[in-house]
Amino acid sequence: MREIVYDVFTRKDRGDQLVHIGYVDAFDDETAKVYAWRTYDEEKWFEMNVVARSAIIPVNHDEGPFAKARSTDG
Amino acid sequence: MSDTLNVTGLDESERAALERLIVTLADSKRLMGIRYSDWVLGAPSIETGVATSSMAQDEWGHARLLYAMLKELGLDPEPYEYDREGGRYASLAALDEAAPDWAVLVAMMTLVDGALSVVLESFAGGSFEPARTRVPKMLAEEKFHSSLGVAWYRRLADTEGEARGLLADATSAMLPSLLAWVGASDEGAQALVAAGVLEPADDRVTAFKDAVRELATSAGVDVDDVDAGTDWDSDRGRSSGRPNEEAVARARGDLNRGLLVE
Repeated sequence: MREIVYDVFTRKDRGDQLVHIGYVDAFDDETAKVYAWRTYDEEKWFEMNVVARSAIIPVNHDEGPFAKARSTDG
Repeated sequence: MSDTLNVTGLDESERAALERLIVTLADSKRLMGIRYSDWVLGAPSIETGVATSSMAQDEWGHARLLYAMLKELGLDPEPYEYDREGGRYASLAALDEAAPDWAVLVAMMTLVDGALSVVLESFAGGSFEPARTRVPKMLAEEKFHSSLGVAWYRRLADTEGEARGLLADATSAMLPSLLAWVGASDEGAQALVAAGVLEPADDRVTAFKDAVRELATSAGVDVDDVDAGTDWDSDRGRSSGRPNEEAVARARGDLNRGLLVE
């Protein structure tokens, strides 16, 4: 069963920096949202977002997890 | 929205009908939580296991809130939570046995939780004040359950192997008793409609079918061709049968009886 890596970004309070807090493996956007919300529930987040790792465009690194995901589409 | 129900003005049969509804919902939430908890360490992925763990906690929280509504009827919730034998449980028949495979759990997640949400929405929009104030938060949490269930249901239905067949079998097995419960129209159920506590049975059934039609079709089951079950137990407001003893012992918290501090 093919799964996609989604990175999870949150801010605890309005005005806080958006912070990368981890990732989940999911098979679509909807399950990624549920998994992220349920997995990273240690805080009462003001905002949480998920981004498919393959959609993140590396700017100054051509290696590492983001570049790898970009080259393999997930 | 209906006028607020005057609970003290209810006659004996109306009070019994409201008690039956609350207990059926609360027992079902408790059993649903147990069925989710069985899959915390056996789900298809770590993320899914975490989600089922979280949903189990949600369901037990909902059950606690629902049992507490019995106080509005002058009833002590404690005996309902901790002191009933399995034959008195009013949880939905589709939850009587543990899910033997992931497809059955996905069917529970969508169809059983879906049926509960349809009736809870009706309850929240009715005349019973505690339901108006406490149920909306439950329904907000249920949206995550539904999202996960629908995604998994579609995923399994899209396969051409064993999973699709298991999903179709589970769907066909659960729908008759769920339709009987959602569309209950015996004397007690009619009393609740007359008191504005619930919408009419036909409206509830329509809402449930609309909620699950597309999903069931994806597994090859036409919800409009399924007849409601007829083996109705009007005392408990559910189909005949009872949850298995192991689940009842967990629901009652038998192992922790000596630690009970309430």
